[in-house]
Amino acid sequence: MHLSKNAVLSCQILAAHPLRTVLSITGVVVGVSAVVVMVSVGQGAERRILDRIGRMGTDVVTVNAAPARLMIGRQRTVATVTTLTVEDARAIAENCPQVTAAVPAVSKSFVVRWDGTNTTTTVIGMAADGFRVRNITLASGRPFDVEDDHLRRRVAVIGPTVAKNLFGSANPLGREIRIGRVLFEVVGATRARGTDANGVDQDDMVVVPLGTAMRRLLNIPYIQTVYVQARGSQWMDRVERDVRALLRERQRLADGHPDTFTIQNQKTLVATEREAARSMTLLIGSAAGIALLVGGVGILAVMLIAVRERTREIGLRRALGATPRDIRAQFLVEAVLLAGAGGVFGVALGLVTTWAVAGLGAWDAVASWPAAALALAFAMTVGMMFGIYPAQRASRLEPIQALRSE
Amino acid sequence: MIEVENLTKQYAKGAVVTVVLAGVSFRVAKGEFVAIMGASGAGKSTLMNILGGLDTPTSGTYRLDGLDLARAGDDELSRVRNTKIGFVFQQFYLLDRIDAVTNVMLPFIYADGNADGAALAGKALAAVGLGGRARHRPSELSGGEQQRVAIARALVTDPVLLLADEPTGNLDTRNGLEVLAIFQRLHREGRTLIVVTHDRAVADHASRLIVLNDGRVSADEPVAQPRDAEAGLRRLEAEAAAGGPA
Repeated sequence: MHLSKNAVLSCQILAAHPLRTVLSITGVVVGVSAVVVMVSVGQGAERRILDRIGRMGTDVVTVNAAPARLMIGRQRTVATVTTLTVEDARAIAENCPQVTAAVPAVSKSFVVRWDGTNTTTTVIGMAADGFRVRNITLASGRPFDVEDDHLRRRVAVIGPTVAKNLFGSANPLGREIRIGRVLFEVVGATRARGTDANGVDQDDMVVVPLGTAMRRLLNIPYIQTVYVQARGSQWMDRVERDVRALLRERQRLADGHPDTFTIQNQKTLVATEREAARSMTLLIGSAAGIALLVGGVGILAVMLIAVRERTREIGLRRALGATPRDIRAQFLVEAVLLAGAGGVFGVALGLVTTWAVAGLGAWDAVASWPAAALALAFAMTVGMMFGIYPAQRASRLEPIQALRSE
Repeated sequence: MIEVENLTKQYAKGAVVTVVLAGVSFRVAKGEFVAIMGASGAGKSTLMNILGGLDTPTSGTYRLDGLDLARAGDDELSRVRNTKIGFVFQQFYLLDRIDAVTNVMLPFIYADGNADGAALAGKALAAVGLGGRARHRPSELSGGEQQRVAIARALVTDPVLLLADEPTGNLDTRNGLEVLAIFQRLHREGRTLIVVTHDRAVADHASRLIVLNDGRVSADEPVAQPRDAEAGLRRLEAEAAAGGPA
């Protein structure tokens, strides 16, 4: 059989039934465009997460003073451990060759008051180089410096959320706020950073010098966290190893004794988050794939109707020399043509929708060409699958009965 | 060219066996114009299906152009239908959605090789007097014109046998005569034709008449004085001219 010649003829016949043809491919159009949009939005979300982690600094290893337990896939520290000290942070900075900085830090939730208004927020005490290591930039005012830390000055840098809660739109610089019972002067305000990888609002915080926090607010001799900056992201694993060995030695942990601290490698976090975003993309992509599969049922139904309605055509073609194989091939080709057309329109619709979504700024969406190609191929496969049964039925018709049918 | 020897066909439905053909034998030489007649139920449709390679007999032999078709498989029969037989049906069986020339080209989709279907189809349409209607769809053509398109489709592959099943059954007298006139011209050009009909007036245009009765050949004789379709058409014109204006 001359397949291509017959395909041209099939197109003419399908085009002569516009309504039926449109109805049969609608499901596929919707399915394919859903796949394209969903995957694009998913990949947009993935990129957003990676951007956010990137902003936090991809060269930072975080040491927490507590053994970790995995909770719902995220690391959370449990219990209070008092063994991590400022000296440990200094030792890390001095002894680990690939470390450029080690920033000791503490944090606790406090009620912060100003002129009758109050808000509960996280107060972070950290060394002055924490601004640089943790990528915290200021919108106005100044950060505190090493001298402020040494002298345990009562100065604070506040996040935008706190500024809004306490001062509304007024300028917070120079105001005196009360953290717990201690008065602090607001010397700076940070730029908005959004939420971190764990969904915590990074703008809802007050940063004060470490010494001030330990002596004047918490009255504790130990610290909770050390932010360790590596010379470059390629040294992350080396730094993690070195820090672990050093801390175990300093804390005299016997071999086999579990760590009394947790080390979070930013690189691992990136991998974990990317993995999570991927699974999400895959999940919603699959849901859209199911929609596409349902679209195949539309093709199945319309093809079955077409076979019934075109029985006499099938009989005629058999009389003119078509073998059962030829008839089967014709209807399979028609199913694939329908699905392919649906796929092409679906990809177009999906891309337009993606760009519209991205343009409106509702979601981040990255148009995904591989997903579009895959959806198109999948659509044609679906057409093929759902075309088999009608084609088989058409090919089994006896020519005489087919010619006689009304 | 056609040898039919003791052909039988029976259908078994449960315990009931229906004999449709009970031993039919005849030969048709190349260039003959044969009419097969019979009352309904006489077995002429079944015979026509077997002659056309659309059905196989229960027993007996059927040779067409040197090929034994009584035992042929589905693929071989399809091939024979495509290359050696041209069908003309009572109901034309044109595809409505495509134009006349594309309808005529349809057999080439199932043919081997790369014949220039469009050129041959154009010639075939011209041969039935529809050269100017190639781009018309069946719905834009009269019944007679549709049947002539179907004849062009049957002839386009240059088959050894033209097989027509009640070709004038859906046409008025005038269009019927036109179809028969084409058949007679093809006969004069040396083509082999078999027309299955229940209409004596149609059968009288052939050169030989085979009558089926209860699944057997009850008569097989030359038509003494075949009617001339062209003459019939002229007479019709004359009658119309005489009776029309009056």
